[in-house]
Amino acid sequence: MSARAGALRGVFGAPVSRYDQASALWLLAPMLAVLLVVAVFPVVYSFWISLFDLKLTRPHRVPFVWFENYAEIFQDELFWSSVWRTISFTVMSVAAIMAIALAMALLLNEEFRGRRFLSAMLLVPWAIPYVANGLMWKWIYDSGYGALNGILLQLDFIDKYMVWLGDSRKTLALIANAFVWKEVPLATILLLVGLKSIPADLYSAARVDGANTWRRFVHITLPALRPSFMLVVIYETMMAIRHFDLFFILTEGGPAEASHVLAWHVYVETFRKLSFGTGSALAYIIALVTFLLAFWLIRTLGRKL
Amino acid sequence: MSRRRGLGRSVFLFAASAVFLVYVLAPVAWLVSSSLQRDAEITSRPPHWIPREPTLENFAAIFEAREKKVTYETRREGDPATGGYIPSTARDLLPSMWNSLVVALAVVALNLLVAVPAAYAMAKIRFIGRSTSIYFMLTTRVIPDIALVVPFFLLIRTFGLLDHLGSLVITYLAITVPFSVFILVSYFESLPDELDKAARVDGCSRLQTMLRVYVPLALPALVAVVLFTFLTSWNEFLLALMFTQTPKSQTMPIVVASFASDFTISFAFINAAGVLAVIPPVVMAIIFERYIVSGLTAGAVKG
Repeated sequence: MSARAGALRGVFGAPVSRYDQASALWLLAPMLAVLLVVAVFPVVYSFWISLFDLKLTRPHRVPFVWFENYAEIFQDELFWSSVWRTISFTVMSVAAIMAIALAMALLLNEEFRGRRFLSAMLLVPWAIPYVANGLMWKWIYDSGYGALNGILLQLDFIDKYMVWLGDSRKTLALIANAFVWKEVPLATILLLVGLKSIPADLYSAARVDGANTWRRFVHITLPALRPSFMLVVIYETMMAIRHFDLFFILTEGGPAEASHVLAWHVYVETFRKLSFGTGSALAYIIALVTFLLAFWLIRTLGRKL
Repeated sequence: MSRRRGLGRSVFLFAASAVFLVYVLAPVAWLVSSSLQRDAEITSRPPHWIPREPTLENFAAIFEAREKKVTYETRREGDPATGGYIPSTARDLLPSMWNSLVVALAVVALNLLVAVPAAYAMAKIRFIGRSTSIYFMLTTRVIPDIALVVPFFLLIRTFGLLDHLGSLVITYLAITVPFSVFILVSYFESLPDELDKAARVDGCSRLQTMLRVYVPLALPALVAVVLFTFLTSWNEFLLALMFTQTPKSQTMPIVVASFASDFTISFAFINAAGVLAVIPPVVMAIIFERYIVSGLTAGAVKG
């Protein structure tokens, strides 16, 4: 084949046939068109809106205010406190997710009867809609008749029913617990995939050298698992930062402002105060922060593709 | 000695499996158990972990609510002391599940149509702009849904698509297509290039090579894509909350969430609604469990 005859030159000088170039672009076109419309355009448009003082309560006067929305956001104490709550929610959740998922992945990496049943059951929390998950935990945490009170009372940990979600010192941790329960399965599966890719002869070699189980875990498993571990940490961090559903179902940002996180802040500014300019600016800030975090993710994944 | 270690290992694995199962299943088991209890029983202290008089009346209320017109007068049917209220919106639940199904199927179909060719091109064809398009796809994957809400709302309002299922289908593409492409690219890459060359030598065009050679081989990844996309659409809440206003377009999560925010509704009823919302996705996930892992594996193992 004389592929060189009509060859184009790629960035690195490798020849690319015109037919390949054309067919690739045709095959890519639908995806590019869809992503331009549903992803790129909204992000650009969102930035444009964030420069206006657009309030739906006052639809006929929409002044262009440059970066005033951003300036106002940064002066808002509620914004900064919601940033801190988002950080603490994220740190709590991700730490717990990683600990539980690692333990579960190590268990599922063993060969034993019933392992397949466990991995099928693991998908139950993963498949449950967040809304149903929220309802379920709301009922478990219920101060009047909830299961948490019931079981703690029966086990003698408490001597009377307690208020859980309504106690502002506990709210965030309890929401994080519901979040963790739902996120653990995917984290476990991703870690398990990482564990499975560790070559078995590494372990047998270490065994010949007299390394015990613990030393094999520390010196082989952990280092080899690092890439998948980092990937899951970054993914779950992004999920936690933007999480909205549970805050809506469980507490609506309350009690007082105990669970007023960033995602909830965007919702309140946009759809309760109908201040679309501020809402866009806020969403843009969250998007930028996630982008910076995701920069890691893309570099990690990009290397593989 | 090895026998003793074998026994210790079994005991440990058994105990660990028990803890694992309790953690994963106990909350759901409690949800199911309390959906089978009457109001009088659900409010006992301490709770009845296993219903003593199991009943399906909470589920019946959902299915009957479609025919029966629930009015303010007829909706209070339970014991007033324990607040056995069936909300007037109970009859919206089944139609909303239908809406969710329609949206999810449309999103799945569009995803396959768009993602398969793109993933094939990125994985198997050498062309100028290949790595750019991969980075582009990965970047769009991390846009948070909350950043899409305001621009989408204004656009959808401009086009008069508010309260229309179409608006959900379009916006869900933004949160599903990048992930579908990602799974498929990884999977196609794990298939040998020689197949591509052989098919081309036999005179297949690129499109034919993709459809006849790679698509059948990528079945696990395709099932994983269908499943992830379906579940994402079925479960999505934030965007649906913004773009739907009436039962005409409300999806299941919206109707279920509306029960949660009404303090007068009996928890027995809410739990039954929750169980109904949970059954389709959980059944799907368990049936196709094998594909989820293998669909993800191709991408992650290669590294």
